[in-house]
Amino acid sequence: MDKKYIGNITILIVTIITGILFSFQLKQDIEDYTLVSLNSIKMTKQEINNYKKEIINLKRLIEEKKNEIDNYHKAIIDKDSFAELLKQEIKDIRFEIGLEDVQGPGIIIKIEDNNKEVSYGENVNYDLVHDLDVLKLINDLNAAGAEAISINGQRILSRSEIKCGGPIITVNKQRLAPPFVIKAIGDPKLLYAAINAPNTNGYILKEIRNIKIQTKISDNIFIPRYWGNITFNQAKPIEEGE
Amino acid sequence: MILALIGILIGILIGFYIPVTYSTSYSLYISVAILACLDSVFGGIRANLEQNFDIRIFVTGFFGNAILAALLAYIGDRLGVPLYYAAIFAFGSRLFQNFAIIRRILINR
Repeated sequence: MDKKYIGNITILIVTIITGILFSFQLKQDIEDYTLVSLNSIKMTKQEINNYKKEIINLKRLIEEKKNEIDNYHKAIIDKDSFAELLKQEIKDIRFEIGLEDVQGPGIIIKIEDNNKEVSYGENVNYDLVHDLDVLKLINDLNAAGAEAISINGQRILSRSEIKCGGPIITVNKQRLAPPFVIKAIGDPKLLYAAINAPNTNGYILKEIRNIKIQTKISDNIFIPRYWGNITFNQAKPIEEGE
Repeated sequence: MILALIGILIGILIGFYIPVTYSTSYSLYISVAILACLDSVFGGIRANLEQNFDIRIFVTGFFGNAILAALLAYIGDRLGVPLYYAAIFAFGSRLFQNFAIIRRILINR
């Protein structure tokens, strides 16, 4: 009888503990019973952290823009410095769109047709440098972070075309004949790799089609400005606030 | 049997009034542990009715099963294998078995 009494007490205590756990779980308000694994929690945390970083970046951007606006406000009060500010801005924009001569470290690529005799059954097209080949190289250079590019002295702008013109190519509506000398300013190592690394377009031109490509790294490359008019006939700017 | 029901009810009441909450990420482990506890409680009731109740076995079984079940769920989570299914099946089937025996004992009385 005594033993059973102790047993009953124990059962009571243990069931109370079970009940407490039970109600704790009930209080959790679990809507669905999908398994939330630690991994998925970690991933979600990572995502949240990324968003937080993005928010911090955006806040910094807002701060920067506010500073700019402050500068303009200050400049409006002082008329001399306003003109100075606008001049500086025009200079910056001209530099950015390629209306200023630039110099800096980069690479010089000389690309030339393959002069060997064409034997029977071979396609002569593989021995020539085409507009597309140059276009691909320029694209590779841009992808490698080139800041300014010219072909035979023609500055490549965002609107520059590289087009086939028979034995020549046209860039900025100027006719250029091979050999083409492409100059690019940027991180020389990256640019060099973009042309010479295995399986790049430059590598294929060189190793498979035997086109003569010479790449030279230089510490100081001069790239001329774009000599032409940038005209807009159809595109019109959207006024702010309209 | 009645004692166990009373105990669970008291426990639920106490639990609702104690302001303790835990992270939702642990609710899986707690739920498996609850299942283990329920299994132990039914086992205890059955043993009590069969007159071979042992407090040591009961108490160690109660805490041991709960901890092991939660641990199994946790390890399974880490390994990417839903090991808590094992705990659910084992304790679930035993729970029903124990209940069936309790039923028979009570009806035959």
